[in-house]
Amino acid sequence: MSMKILIIEDEPALQASIQKYLEHQGFVCEAVGDFKKGKEKINAFNYDCVVVDIGLPFGSGLDIVKELKEIESTTGIIIISARNSLEDKLQGLETGSDDYLTKPFHLSELNARINAIIRRKSFGGSKTISFNEIKLYVDAMRVTVNEKTIDLTDKEYQLLEYFIVNQRRVLTKAAIAEHIWGDEYDQVSNYDFIYTHIKNLRKKLMDAGAADYIKTVYGTGYRFTDI
Amino acid sequence: MRLLTKTTLYFLLAMVPLLTAGGFYLFHQFSRELNQEMDAELLNDEVQWVRYIAEQTENGGPFILKTPELLIYPVDEDVSNLPTVTDTYQFQAIVNANVPYRQLSQVLFVRGIPYQVIIRKSKVQQSVLVTNVTRIMFFVFTGLFAVTLLFNWFISKRLWKPFQRSLEKINSAELQKMEAVYFDKDTSVQEFNELNAALNTMANKIHNDYITMKEFTEDAAHEMQTPLAVAQSKLELLLQDTGLNDEQASSIVEASTAIKRLARLNQSLLLLAKIDNNQYETNETISLNAVTSKYLSFFDAIIKDKAIKVAATFNGDFNIKMHPMLAESLVSNLVGNAIKYNYTGGNILIDISSNHYSISNTSEFSAIAPGLLFKRFKNTRSTDDNSNGMGLAIVKKIADTHQLAISYSAEKGVHQFIITKKGIHGGSSAGNY
Repeated sequence: MSMKILIIEDEPALQASIQKYLEHQGFVCEAVGDFKKGKEKINAFNYDCVVVDIGLPFGSGLDIVKELKEIESTTGIIIISARNSLEDKLQGLETGSDDYLTKPFHLSELNARINAIIRRKSFGGSKTISFNEIKLYVDAMRVTVNEKTIDLTDKEYQLLEYFIVNQRRVLTKAAIAEHIWGDEYDQVSNYDFIYTHIKNLRKKLMDAGAADYIKTVYGTGYRFTDI
Repeated sequence: MRLLTKTTLYFLLAMVPLLTAGGFYLFHQFSRELNQEMDAELLNDEVQWVRYIAEQTENGGPFILKTPELLIYPVDEDVSNLPTVTDTYQFQAIVNANVPYRQLSQVLFVRGIPYQVIIRKSKVQQSVLVTNVTRIMFFVFTGLFAVTLLFNWFISKRLWKPFQRSLEKINSAELQKMEAVYFDKDTSVQEFNELNAALNTMANKIHNDYITMKEFTEDAAHEMQTPLAVAQSKLELLLQDTGLNDEQASSIVEASTAIKRLARLNQSLLLLAKIDNNQYETNETISLNAVTSKYLSFFDAIIKDKAIKVAATFNGDFNIKMHPMLAESLVSNLVGNAIKYNYTGGNILIDISSNHYSISNTSEFSAIAPGLLFKRFKNTRSTDDNSNGMGLAIVKKIADTHQLAISYSAEKGVHQFIITKKGIHGGSSAGNY
């Protein structure tokens, strides 16, 4: 069964982008543009994850978070905000949100975070991610190819998980570097250094018998795909 | 020159001609009085002498008397009707100098014989008078000078006190704490009250402008993030289009990179604004050693990629009261720059002791001009990197707000930044900016 996501964002263009990307990754999405509608939605339906902006017409996104906590929902919550100060982040997380993402962000990053939250929240469900012959055991950070464990470094594991979660999407080097090494990297270097890590990952996967899924997109980045 | 010194000087300059004129007037008055009196005496003497000659020459025969002060002798001349009184000089052997005299001379008949009568009186007294008047004037002037100076000193101590207080306040005023600046409007001098009232108005205006400006900066920074997010997301979706050719895809990535830079620039400006606004005050003490280690391992991937050799020597803990976020910003900028402007196979040397933090790196870039060093946007060393020219401005701002001195030097392709705690000696500095 598909996971249900509610997007509460007052900027229609951004709302549409998020919805389109997430739907493409297999989520069922609903989107609203203000506090009142958001509140109605969360009280009427159950979502696996809510993506909420803080600055909304008729109220604050933080109150949506509080409301969700009050009705003891197990819904995952991710705040997207223009404010990136530590205080704002702490406040968001203290209110009960599971994650905090600062605008502007990569849609692939938002998608990866939503996946992580949903996985963390799912009780009894299998915390595994599969892609054909590749299987990731999230808690143990273990990877198997055709049931055989392969040995990956932390960075390579994160890289693979990010690829699979955002499968079939073109991922820019910037988005990849930011997800794995943090966004402070972008002021220090171009992203050519990730090539080495991707090359190593690809080699390990193929040595273990997996198909060559990591495709280089010229001048842009990479795409993890079986088609 | 101080205002008081200047007014005193002008005052004294005005006094010089005034006192000179006064002196001359006094001298002339005195000498006229004395001359008149002397002339009367001379006339009186003449009358006495004429009477005396008449008595002496009763029995006939001429009368002759010649002394330095009195000359009476018969002459063959016409009688002058009026005596002439003139000033002359005569040599006086005792003082060995020419001495001024007042002299009366007249030719008159005594018993039918014309006599020349010359009577002289010394005017030495009068020249003494000139000296005295001059001396008195000089004393008056000196006295006036001393008294004026004394008064001015006294006045500057007392009268100018409110002005000095205002001046001190202006000097120590900080833009961020303008609301706390108040100038006393109830001093005993009206001019100062007016000045202080004007200063209060100005301080208030500066404070309000500053707040408006600050809020504007923050609001603008935040408001800008949302449209950037929209653009970013649209480009990311566009990139998923399978029909794109390489050129189109590259353009999209470049646009996306530009947006990322804009967002980062925005955040840097916001950070600077917040530091200015004292939003990062803290009582926490943090060790820059720990933060440095953290960033060295954080940047590990790129350090390895560029094959940079890092030698970090921790001789002691550089502890400082600083908000963790600022400590991270400070260190990440310094370490980041050392990596970014390094070349493949270069070196980074980090040396930390309790009050000295130095980081140096090899680089192909030339030294940063001192004038541009910590200026926003001014020191971008190459155009194709992701630098927004804000890193060092942030470093400098953080140093300035935490009593840290930062210095920079570049020699033989090695760039070095040194941070020392202000007020603690021992750290070398290659010139502070």
